[in-house]
Amino acid sequence: MMHDGELTSGGLAAMGGAAGLMQRQWAPCRYHCPVHADVRAYIELIARGQYRSAVDVIRANLPFACVCGRICHHPCEANCRRNDVDEPVAIRELKRFVAELQGAAGSTVRKAPVQDKARVAVVGAGPAGLAAALDLARMGYRPVAFEKFPVAGGIPATAVPKYRLPRDVLRHDVEWILSHGIELRTGVEIGADQTIDGLLAEGFAAVIVATGLPKSRALNVPGMDHRRVLGAMEFLTAAAMDRPMDVGRDVLVIGGGNVAMDAARTALRLGGGRVRAMCLENEQEMPAWAWERREAEEEGVGFIRRRGPAEVLLRGGEIVGVKARKVTRVFDEAGRFAPLYDDADVIEPDCDTVVLAIGQQADMGFARGSGLAADDRGRLVYDPATHETSVPGVFACGEIVTAPGSVVEACAHGQRAAAAVDMYLRGVPVRIDDELPPAIGTISQEVGGKVTKVARAVIAARPAAERAGCFAEIDLTMSEAEALRESRRCMSCGGGAEVIVDKCAACLTCLRVCPFGIPVVTDVARISSDLCQACGMCIADCPAHAIVARSWSAEDLKAATDAALGRLPAGEGARRVVAFVCGHHAPANAWRGSLDDAVGGVAELYLPSMARLSTEQVLHAFEAGADGVVVVACRLGADRYPHATERVRKRVTAVNEMLAEAGLGPDRVQLTETASQGRAAMREAIAAAADRIAAL
Amino acid sequence: MIVAERKPLDEILNMLAPCKRVLALGCGGCVSVCLTGGEKQAAELAVQLRLAARRKKLDLAVEVDCITRQCDREFLTNLKQDPRTFDAVLSLACGCGVGFLSEQYPDVPVLPAMNTTFYGSNTAPGVWEEYCRGCGDCVLAWTAGICPVAKCSKSLLNGICGGTKDGKCEVNPDMECGWSRIYDRLAELGRLDEMRKLRPPRDYRKDRGGGVRRLVLASMTADDQTQEAKE
Repeated sequence: MMHDGELTSGGLAAMGGAAGLMQRQWAPCRYHCPVHADVRAYIELIARGQYRSAVDVIRANLPFACVCGRICHHPCEANCRRNDVDEPVAIRELKRFVAELQGAAGSTVRKAPVQDKARVAVVGAGPAGLAAALDLARMGYRPVAFEKFPVAGGIPATAVPKYRLPRDVLRHDVEWILSHGIELRTGVEIGADQTIDGLLAEGFAAVIVATGLPKSRALNVPGMDHRRVLGAMEFLTAAAMDRPMDVGRDVLVIGGGNVAMDAARTALRLGGGRVRAMCLENEQEMPAWAWERREAEEEGVGFIRRRGPAEVLLRGGEIVGVKARKVTRVFDEAGRFAPLYDDADVIEPDCDTVVLAIGQQADMGFARGSGLAADDRGRLVYDPATHETSVPGVFACGEIVTAPGSVVEACAHGQRAAAAVDMYLRGVPVRIDDELPPAIGTISQEVGGKVTKVARAVIAARPAAERAGCFAEIDLTMSEAEALRESRRCMSCGGGAEVIVDKCAACLTCLRVCPFGIPVVTDVARISSDLCQACGMCIADCPAHAIVARSWSAEDLKAATDAALGRLPAGEGARRVVAFVCGHHAPANAWRGSLDDAVGGVAELYLPSMARLSTEQVLHAFEAGADGVVVVACRLGADRYPHATERVRKRVTAVNEMLAEAGLGPDRVQLTETASQGRAAMREAIAAAADRIAAL
Repeated sequence: MIVAERKPLDEILNMLAPCKRVLALGCGGCVSVCLTGGEKQAAELAVQLRLAARRKKLDLAVEVDCITRQCDREFLTNLKQDPRTFDAVLSLACGCGVGFLSEQYPDVPVLPAMNTTFYGSNTAPGVWEEYCRGCGDCVLAWTAGICPVAKCSKSLLNGICGGTKDGKCEVNPDMECGWSRIYDRLAELGRLDEMRKLRPPRDYRKDRGGGVRRLVLASMTADDQTQEAKE
């Protein structure tokens, strides 16, 4: 169920506060992210309109924030616990929204104070290589990235179609990465212009090979070497570099994966003619993402399934078609790729160009002029635990040594290699700790059923007819309003309540106020982090201060209250009112405190939900100098969490009684339930409440 | 458990009149469970006192602390500050805590922030009712679990009085007549014969009649204390 180890007051003091609790268990988004970005944290920052802080959290782990915002395969979303409620949070789209909004200029660069450690050569400025270079630069090394293409970025620069990844988006990431103190040398091919042996002799203390899989696998059938039989990678690269290609008007793409889809859809856009994709698999077996297939189909790509190419047919020196055999089986009983054909069932689809998208392979040219060993399958010899190759000081990372993967996986691998190089250069054994904290478990159906359902944002896309004619982006970015709404669907997994067991009096209050029925009270209250929604209701009402939040501190709101009152004009007769506002429906500028229509003398403080607002926090406002408080809750049922408005009504009554006893009354705390009714209604209600307070 | 309610703030301010620096001390026992005297309530009381002091231009500083219970010596080591550095300790514990702390800190006034009212049970969220009077000689085995001492205004032991009207008590018409309830319940259980049994007179020495009561568990006392207890 939960992590091991109960929390005591002593334990909490020893860890210096509750924030360290976030490390004991990770939300599944973070756990499954290959670079373990703190997804929950940046989604919350987006929800509060703090876009720079959000992108800085992303970039702490993920250098390619903009690229991944476009093309990541999002294991975070696949594992988002919101899947068990309605639909996963649109994490990739939110990342895209904030990363592109901020660009390189809006992302903080934290260079190492001094970069005076060894020089390290990185061969290949793709995701793995640049991720490694960035970490090395941050550690004070002097990385130099060598890139044979005229542009850095690797596959995102050379082979991902522009309709998926506009190149200005990629440039944000590359620029941001390089500004950490990485030298980039494009147009330099290691193995030709320079050699690894040469780099080591020149004074590079280590070399990281990150050359990836830039080439296409070839097909050994007759007619294969015709000039109009193109490898998909070469085809896509030429398209990306706007280089002219010898492409006809009837293209047949061989392959069923994402690269095949990319190639087919790119061929369509290069103008004129028919494009079809032929693959061994049937529709269910095709490895391409479902949405890629669907979009390709919508754009007019035809599909020929369950066929394997046997021969490229030539007539008069030109391609006229491909002889294709029926595939009777793609995978064997053990699920391995082992196609079987029926040679009697043959068709000959017409085409004048063939694009082979049957797999990627390495370009081993980098190994020329080095002592690097390859295995009997021609793959670089390397130790997965340490990234070391057969040559001391030469390391490898990314697709050159792993299975084909995604950008984020390449980044993770590059970061690991950087750690290995650092250990090597410090003269310590290379031992990388890959252990992770446990992930938060599945949410129960019972609790999931009580979470307020909110439909996932629908990303607008260009219509198919418009798409097929150009390389402009297909999916449009979310609007700010959509991003705020979507980020507020996050359930803050792992960020919620933690009981301090030695303070708990088992009074049952948490059990009674929890809208989701989560606490179980045996000897003390036990609140499962697999279920807790981090609403804050129990934390606000616990009589013993025995519950803390992992992802926020009650002191933060007190400090914010003090600061907000400090900013109000002082002086005789100056109005000093604090408004605690439910920000679940509020725009970013309200959260950031930059409203241009603030009511005079009223400081507005935004919270994710009224569930969190305790009687003590309201009392504190008075102690800090407020004459009155306006509590701006949502209409019943409109708060982020159920029953928050009902609970806050009771708290307001209780505080007014306490204040009246102390001689401040009556009704110094005014309640309005307009937070979900738009700025105009809310502002009017705040102004009216402030007037009533002034009249007291 | 023991139920206590916060005294009116004015009464507390009066008590604190001679003080400049006071410790509001919450208790993690019964008063936390009935949500009137825990750490949170101590903090809220402190704010109320500071606000009132500000209004009345009193020089009063209030600090806050809370310990697991105020009726055991061992918990006192967890106090964050020495109570003797204050002009008074304002205890939010029940009377047991106030009295016990007064003995532990004879040099500091230990003042009650609460009125301790009754032994109660939680009949509904936010509602506690009196169930027991600590009479020392429990008869609930023969009254179907309904206490004639607590649930009867007169604490009668031999059955209903003549003042019952429609099952309600003549002393407090909102209150159910305890003996009426006992009779009905015993009847329901087919055990009215309990009411016909002759039992020896109650030993009021087990109640207040014997003076201040104490419990001594010999298995837990130190040897010299066991000797003391025997004497």
